[in-house]
Amino acid sequence: MSYRPRPDFDQPDAESVQRSRRMLPWMIPLIFLQQGSLIFGHSERLTQIVGTAAWACVSLLMLWIFLGLPMRWLSERDQAIINDERSRMVRGDAASWGIAALILIGCGMMVARLWVQLNAGIAIYGLVNGALIVAVCRYGWLNRSEPDEDE
Amino acid sequence: MNERLGNRLKERRTELGLTQSQLADLCLVSRKTINTVENGVFVPSTLLALKLASALGLNVEQLFWIEE
Repeated sequence: MSYRPRPDFDQPDAESVQRSRRMLPWMIPLIFLQQGSLIFGHSERLTQIVGTAAWACVSLLMLWIFLGLPMRWLSERDQAIINDERSRMVRGDAASWGIAALILIGCGMMVARLWVQLNAGIAIYGLVNGALIVAVCRYGWLNRSEPDEDE
Repeated sequence: MNERLGNRLKERRTELGLTQSQLADLCLVSRKTINTVENGVFVPSTLLALKLASALGLNVEQLFWIEE
């Protein structure tokens, strides 16, 4: 491990952002489950609005990560490391898995609707979350564990 | 066709006494990128190959070659 002076101890660095992103495959399905119970498990309007807003925020955050939009609060070095070419390759690969999942789930739903009446909200929730979970799992798999130095 | 990019990144890096983290800092990439390039898992772009060669004081051709 090399020594690197950091004047901004209160700010996250590239390594901590990467560490937290490796946790995504574990966290995102649980978050979606919890939000799903808020949105579809309660009849109160306010609970549904809060649940839907929270779900939209998490989904947009995932979109931010997969699009590789800049994180301007990080230093230039940290932004460059987070957005290096391997990271771009991993994001692209994960996004293509997400698109494939979206199409497959969509096809499945189109076939299923011939026999079962689908609720629009549940269908959209399943479609978007299914695609995101597949993409996040692929992302986590490609980023699994930080290798030891010289491993 | 079963081509693979060979490299002597690790050999040269250790010759210079650099760790993966230090080389990653020099090239502004993550340590995992250096690790995967060294292991032949990730094929770097021309830009990164040039940066690596420059950081290690070699030509690109001395650092990378095509293995068949």
